[in-house]
Amino acid sequence: MSTATVGIVLVSHSAELAEGAANLAAQVSGGTVTIVAAGGTDDGRLGTSAAKVERALRQADHGAGVMVLPDLGSAVLVVKAVLEDFSDPGSVLLADGPFVEGAVAATVTAAAGGDLKAVAAAAEEARHARKL
Amino acid sequence: MPASFEQAITLAGDLHARPAGALAVAAGRFAAAIEVTAGGHTADAKSVLGVMGLGATSGQHVTVSAAGPDAQEAVAALIAVLSEATKVAGP
Repeated sequence: MSTATVGIVLVSHSAELAEGAANLAAQVSGGTVTIVAAGGTDDGRLGTSAAKVERALRQADHGAGVMVLPDLGSAVLVVKAVLEDFSDPGSVLLADGPFVEGAVAATVTAAAGGDLKAVAAAAEEARHARKL
Repeated sequence: MPASFEQAITLAGDLHARPAGALAVAAGRFAAAIEVTAGGHTADAKSVLGVMGLGATSGQHVTVSAAGPDAQEAVAALIAVLSEATKVAGP
């Protein structure tokens, strides 16, 4: 495919959780999508970092936009604050979905060439998927 | 009435996360509506979570059916993915 794929940013209170979800999503989707983990505070504690989120948004954007998936509610506040000052907020969609399932579903949709809206929809629809 | 096609395969391995991902990525590139059926359950082939939720295992019969302009190519491509991806061991 000649067009760029949508990038994914995973924002978690835990660096390990963000990295782990990114690794899992990369493995399941075949490794063709840029997934950037933004977990933990700048000094390595549990929490979220505006600086990390902003860096991740820039790293993940290859021209097709970036979908951001937060793990818990307060990560949303940090992402929203970053987007207020972001140079190109129209290229970013904040998705409301389960962290692991949403990351996997969104990344697979991006790998198949889905656009930003389709990728965010995949993350949000993941809440309806049954495991059992 | 769009053309519809269907083909079945016996899995050489379990339909774990990675093969399910490969299947959904391949399916997402087609315009056709594509379904995967195993053990009496059907999932949208473009939904990786749906495909994983089938819990299809080695030796099980899986049917791929598609309807739409590129349905025939889609079924052939997905049967090939299922045949290859379930040969690889691991999750």
